[in-house]
Amino acid sequence: MTGDIVQAAKFIGAGLSMIGALGAGIGIGLSVQGALEGMSRNPDTYGNLLTNMILGIAFSEAIAIYCLVIAFLMLFVL
Amino acid sequence: MEKTRKWRWGTNRWFILAFAILTAIGVKIAAPVQSVIQVAPETLSKTPIFTLPVIGSVYLTNTVVAMVLMDLAILGVALIVKLNVKPGALIAKGFSGMMEMLIEVLYNLTQSTAGKWAKKIFPWFATIFIIVLFANLLKLIPGYESIGLVEEVKSGGYTAIPMGGNWFNVTTPAVAEGGSVVIPFARGLSTDLNFTAALALISVLMTQVIGVQAQGLGYFNKFFDTRTLFKKPFFGFMDLIVSILETISEFSKIISFTFRLFGNMFAGMVLMILVGVMVPVFFPSLIMMFELFIGAIQAFVFGMLTLVFMAMATSGHAEEHAAS
Repeated sequence: MTGDIVQAAKFIGAGLSMIGALGAGIGIGLSVQGALEGMSRNPDTYGNLLTNMILGIAFSEAIAIYCLVIAFLMLFVL
Repeated sequence: MEKTRKWRWGTNRWFILAFAILTAIGVKIAAPVQSVIQVAPETLSKTPIFTLPVIGSVYLTNTVVAMVLMDLAILGVALIVKLNVKPGALIAKGFSGMMEMLIEVLYNLTQSTAGKWAKKIFPWFATIFIIVLFANLLKLIPGYESIGLVEEVKSGGYTAIPMGGNWFNVTTPAVAEGGSVVIPFARGLSTDLNFTAALALISVLMTQVIGVQAQGLGYFNKFFDTRTLFKKPFFGFMDLIVSILETISEFSKIISFTFRLFGNMFAGMVLMILVGVMVPVFFPSLIMMFELFIGAIQAFVFGMLTLVFMAMATSGHAEEHAAS
């Protein structure tokens, strides 16, 4: 019985920790929006903007990845 | 003028179709099983190789095997490039030309970011980039995370069908008690926290070293700023607090470096395992392609962040104010 409750709490905790991906999603959307606007106004900067956009996306994605790591730790380690 | 080659309609697509059909047949013969997902790398040897006083026992894990493979791959590339480059030839051809292009792109990037410190920073940036890139791309070797030792477990195992000799085929149906699981010989190197933490420590420590080389001991003013504390009490105090925050952010860099690479690669591994069990035909190839893309991007991000932090360390606050 207690084992089941602990197991359920693990799953709930893993699910709750993924809420943090919300902010990362918004951040990635904003950075892509900015880069696309810049590209459409000034197509010459395409390559430069693309590199920086991917870098920015990777940074925002890292936040979501931390949440994912916490979720994995709850599921597979604890 | 070079004749444009006609695009081969039809040849490549038949290959893809043939491989898809082969996978479908293969899945019927040996259904993929969900391997054990664990964060710590699996140990291949039951007894420790050696024991250190403080650190503890050191086992042969499957990420160590992956690391040796990665080293061999990098050494192989270096050897090929060395053999290909003839003395006196100005233009490198083929594979070595490709590597030259890669290094040139990296060096130009360093120079545009770091300026005159490019020669100091470039080795760290390029080494980290190439190591992480090779570690992530080695997944392309067939059987990388699927061939390994068969181990019996108490629950959650699968049937092991003998295939002659010492070889077993671990496949469905799942056994309630006393089944077997596969412990792969090699597992993605970046899914080991030790590797990513080591790289992060190297990167952050060398950032400090390069900062001291560039600015002298004044570099440490960044971490404990008392220069303005007595001249302007209020703003000096603010500067002190900001500099202490800077120290904390230096430590959080290590954590963020470590978990960014580890999390991305580990999530990819779990995704591959789950998709491989649920939709074993054709779909894992697409996921694999995406994973390779993510691996290359993460290698670039790791290197790029090292480069940017090192470039920031070479130019202190004082120089910035003087320039502007």
